[in-house]
Amino acid sequence: MPTIDDFIRPKEWVSDFLTDLGKVIRQWGEDTYRPVRQQVDEDWQTHKLVPPLMKEVLVDLGVNAALFPSEAGGTDMPEPMALTGIVCEELARIDSGFATACICSIWGLIPILLEPHRNMELLMEFGPKFCGEELYVGSLAMTEPASGADIENLGRMKGKTIQTTAVLDGNEWVINGHKIWPSNSGKVGDLYVVLCTTKKGSDHPGDFALILVPADTIGVTLGSPYRKAGMSADMNSDIWFENVRVPKRYRCHSPGDDLKYFRRALTMGNIGSAAMSVGVMKSVYEIIKKWTTERIIAGKPLKEHSMVAEMLSEVAMLIESTSAWMWTYTRELDHPEISGWEPWDERFILKTRGLALYANNAVERACSRAMDFMGSYGYVREFDIEKHWRDQKVIGLWMGGKGLKTLENARYWFDLETL
Amino acid sequence: MALYPSQEWCDDWKAAMNNDKSVAETGRKWGVDFNGNWLFEVTPGAGLEKTVYVYLAAAAGKCSKAKMIDDPSAVDPGYFVTGSYADFKSVVKGEKDFLAGVVKGSFKLRGDMTRIIRNARFIRAVANSISSFKSEYLGE
Repeated sequence: MPTIDDFIRPKEWVSDFLTDLGKVIRQWGEDTYRPVRQQVDEDWQTHKLVPPLMKEVLVDLGVNAALFPSEAGGTDMPEPMALTGIVCEELARIDSGFATACICSIWGLIPILLEPHRNMELLMEFGPKFCGEELYVGSLAMTEPASGADIENLGRMKGKTIQTTAVLDGNEWVINGHKIWPSNSGKVGDLYVVLCTTKKGSDHPGDFALILVPADTIGVTLGSPYRKAGMSADMNSDIWFENVRVPKRYRCHSPGDDLKYFRRALTMGNIGSAAMSVGVMKSVYEIIKKWTTERIIAGKPLKEHSMVAEMLSEVAMLIESTSAWMWTYTRELDHPEISGWEPWDERFILKTRGLALYANNAVERACSRAMDFMGSYGYVREFDIEKHWRDQKVIGLWMGGKGLKTLENARYWFDLETL
Repeated sequence: MALYPSQEWCDDWKAAMNNDKSVAETGRKWGVDFNGNWLFEVTPGAGLEKTVYVYLAAAAGKCSKAKMIDDPSAVDPGYFVTGSYADFKSVVKGEKDFLAGVVKGSFKLRGDMTRIIRNARFIRAVANSISSFKSEYLGE
């Protein structure tokens, strides 16, 4: 009888080690997270349950340290996208909000974490914190009140709408601005990777800056967490920067290179979003498979009724297609020799927007269809479909939203020049 | 210079491990309350004519045994690694990273994955200690 492990995940591309790692995470999720999953949803404000759970994954299971170089205390795992895909998928199967919180701890550091664009000075300074025995959480502070998709639209806007400024004053950056919605904001994040501009209104690549700001720096103020429809395990709030001073060396790279290598983070975000969508859909598959097998209507299991079988078939196809696409792009990003593009090539962002959009639509459809056939049972908390239904929606809202994903996908495939 | 693989080479490896600060530091908790011993199965090719086995007993940052064995069922390792002579040779020469080889599938590793991940730095230190001394190789 097929299980979620029978959906496409090419063995030639995903080693036994990574598959086994996924199983370790899955087992941890079943043993440790599932029993408290619904309580985590209610704990959105005080957020007491999540940090110890994050420590178990990020510290004890080594996710935080996985991509850091060994000189900085990390485990320096190869194939970063495949590793990220496994972590995202397995954690999202249990709770996509928790998956988001965990993976976003290191997401913002991608521009300095991965070869060949490592910033060893910064990695040696912050590596011991991320790779140590205590929880240390990163947060990418990108979106602003007036601009989310515009900031992500690097190809056309090139940071033109960023309002958070960084001005060099001697040996320090002085940062002023307001960010909203970052994962792991509020009291969770210890280190922010802040998207700034060194010249407001500029679209010059050199004015786009990524600057590290420890959360306890003077001038950093945090807002209260937002109560969202879902993803309660991920805390999102406002962050204000008022004349925040950090050392000059905390800029990730030199002018032009910040934007260039940030593209790789966006591409990984697109693929990671798809991986999370696959994880959620696999959980939906498990729930509806059990439901439609055990529920007997008119003398036979629900799944033996043709309209139900049609829904089940659609869900399976959504998982297969998304997974196949996700792993194909994962392979291409980890092996740039396939395309001949560097991993930070803009074309990777544009192509993976299509994947992210497809995955967003797939998981939305899968959750909705499953709930249609579970009826009110699907609508109550006990059966967890409604949690996935609430959580997944934001996967479609982030990374520029469906509008930007649509445009950039079209831009790549059809050589759009103005959109 | 010992031939890889041979008992003489195993003796060199044991000495290298026990003289390595990084192994001692990163491995201080390894094998303390669990079976942290390893069996490496090296499959033929690139000059090696038949499968050979290297057994490594390690705990608390020290190696107590490194030996060639004929019968793998005679030992009870907590961790089992299989790979080709060509791939193992690359690690011994310092050309390939052992952990990267595991992640990419060049080496098949069986054992408690949680401990592997938590002790990745120790495993890398042990692998790095191999390339700290000179060796000779079959087929060269």
